Amino acid sequence: MPQIELAGKTYEVDEDGFLQELDKWSEEFAEAYAHVEEIDGKLTEEHWMVINYLRNYYQQFGIAPMIRKICKDLKIDMKKLYELFPTGPAKGACKLAGLSKPTGCV
Amino acid sequence: MIRKTGIQDFTKPGGQVAELEPADWMKLPAPYDQMDKPLKKLTEDQRKRMDATLDGVVAIGILPPSMPEEEKAFVDRFLAGVEKLFDAKDNWTFLQPLYHSLEYCVKCQICSDACPAYVASGRQDIYRPTMRPELLRRIISTYVKKEHPLLRKFKASNIELNAQALIRLAELAYRCTLCRRCAQVCLLGCDNALISREIRKIFSQQMGIAPKEVHEKGSVQQIKVGSSTGMTPPALADILEFTEEEIAEKTGKKIKIPVDKKGSDILLLHNAGEFLAWPENLEAFAILFDAAGIDWTLSSELVGYDAVNYGVWYDDVQFARVALRHAQAAKNLGVKRISLGECGHAHKAMIVVADRVLTGELNIPRESALPLMEKIVMSGRIKLDPGRNNFPVTLHDPCNMVRLMGIVEPQRRILRKIAPQFREMTPHGVENYCCGGGSGFAIIQSNNFPDWRSSVSGRMKLKQTLDAFADAPSADVKKYVCAPCSNCKGQYRELFNTYGVWEKSGIFYGGLVELIVNAMADLKQPFIQWEWH
Ligand code: SF4
Ligand code: SF4
Repeated sequence: MPQIELAGKTYEVDEDGFLQELDKWSEEFAEAYAHVEEIDGKLTEEHWMVINYLRNYYQQFGIAPMIRKICKDLKIDMKKLYELFPTGPAKGACKLAGLSKPTGCV
Repeated sequence: MIRKTGIQDFTKPGGQVAELEPADWMKLPAPYDQMDKPLKKLTEDQRKRMDATLDGVVAIGILPPSMPEEEKAFVDRFLAGVEKLFDAKDNWTFLQPLYHSLEYCVKCQICSDACPAYVASGRQDIYRPTMRPELLRRIISTYVKKEHPLLRKFKASNIELNAQALIRLAELAYRCTLCRRCAQVCLLGCDNALISREIRKIFSQQMGIAPKEVHEKGSVQQIKVGSSTGMTPPALADILEFTEEEIAEKTGKKIKIPVDKKGSDILLLHNAGEFLAWPENLEAFAILFDAAGIDWTLSSELVGYDAVNYGVWYDDVQFARVALRHAQAAKNLGVKRISLGECGHAHKAMIVVADRVLTGELNIPRESALPLMEKIVMSGRIKLDPGRNNFPVTLHDPCNMVRLMGIVEPQRRILRKIAPQFREMTPHGVENYCCGGGSGFAIIQSNNFPDWRSSVSGRMKLKQTLDAFADAPSADVKKYVCAPCSNCKGQYRELFNTYGVWEKSGIFYGGLVELIVNAMADLKQPFIQWEWH
């Protein structure tokens, strides 16, 4: 199993860098991981808004929310989402939020 | 530079059987001719965990056995699986076409140029449709039939098998999209795609080897939680509620999406990935069926709300489990028939292959939603204004619906009626090229497999699609590829993002039912939004 070292801690991830032990997630994890997902500097309030939204939805329903729903509920568009997470909502945002990788025909 | 490769290269230890280089690949039209990058290489660390000695690409990621005893056990397990393929008790479903395809091929190589992966790669020998069957044939001759060495020499059917060769064969079975374009041109009716699948089947059923997206996160997860997307019934309910709100906002219509409505005429089976990634498809179905007065329902039963059946790509047992659950969901609701939404492999699974599994009360009539849409469009029950679709439209033919099942004209008759600028791709219909994401490829998202899919297996489709719009190349002219299959849409999304097709050429992709609803004259605003690329 591949591992990733962030801010002095080691995490188990899958081949594409998704966290495997979901309970190991922390805000420091997200912060330290951001640069890997091509985000410059510290995470902003807008990043946290998306990350928290994803985590809440995931806790409630066990999957990542529809992108349409993220945009609608948070009142942002796709362009903005990609500005915040250059590697895309399904990759960058889900990874930082510590969600498992989206599966199935999505 | 492409080096000639043959069977003997598969058994050699280390190295790579083939090297993929952008300079060899089929040329794309400008400006896409300048964009090719070499495929991502696996790191040294990854190469220790996963064998990439076929072509540097990894779909499964097999860890090779290290000890001689392990290697022997690996080979023996595979050979035991081969024997089962030829036992009518174990393989009554596919034995006959398998036997035919192995025995009748005269190695004329006519099928090679029909294969989009082979041609797009710059004609790499390993991707010839005949390469996998030839490996299997030699394994059978040498180890199963144990033919006399002189006979093997005469027939050139010998192979010195090792685990390395088998691992390469397993990966190679995932370089064929099962599109069956090769089978269509074979004068002797040999189906090399079927052989690709039989090889996958040995690896999965006998050895537990399959891409994790297809098996562990795919069919296993579907049976366990209800959907390969991980969607549970409460998540489904949340999504449907959202969808109803969206319909109301876009159309002003208050439509309740029927769920578990007993005794309906139709149980509609959608690919659940559609709900998450392309909910407008689900919305459009609801709007159209509502307007046409169709008596339909979705099921909220586990597995019953996700039409996918990945087993059709790699494993008969997983296939049968899911097919039975689908039929059971329909039976529990007492529907008259099952209709398949815009998902190609689910068409093949439920309408064609499941015929071998479903008997008695579970053998409920099953059909494609495409002819039903045609009936609605042609009935005149809904007022349609083609002027609303006055932009260039082309049609992608999903292999499973079109080549396999012969559903060729309904979608075309619809488009001729509602899309004034509809034009065909070349070639099209039963001769169309696969999107390059077939047989599970569009969902295999790890390592460098997505690179291979965009650069090699999807290359022909990208070229064909761009060519179809060559008369209006500017990004200012919005254009639409109608791809009535979730899997094909996933592949289009990836191709278009990788090459920046929306930005450079203004081409968007979507389903068929969205175009129908977009033409509905009573909607206040156009249904298709061009923003979700
Ligand atoms: S499968 Fe058919 S077309 Fe291909 S080499 Fe064999 S005989 Fe020829
Ligand atoms: S089924 Fe399609 S991808 Fe596979 S070998 Fe035949 S033509 Fe090529």
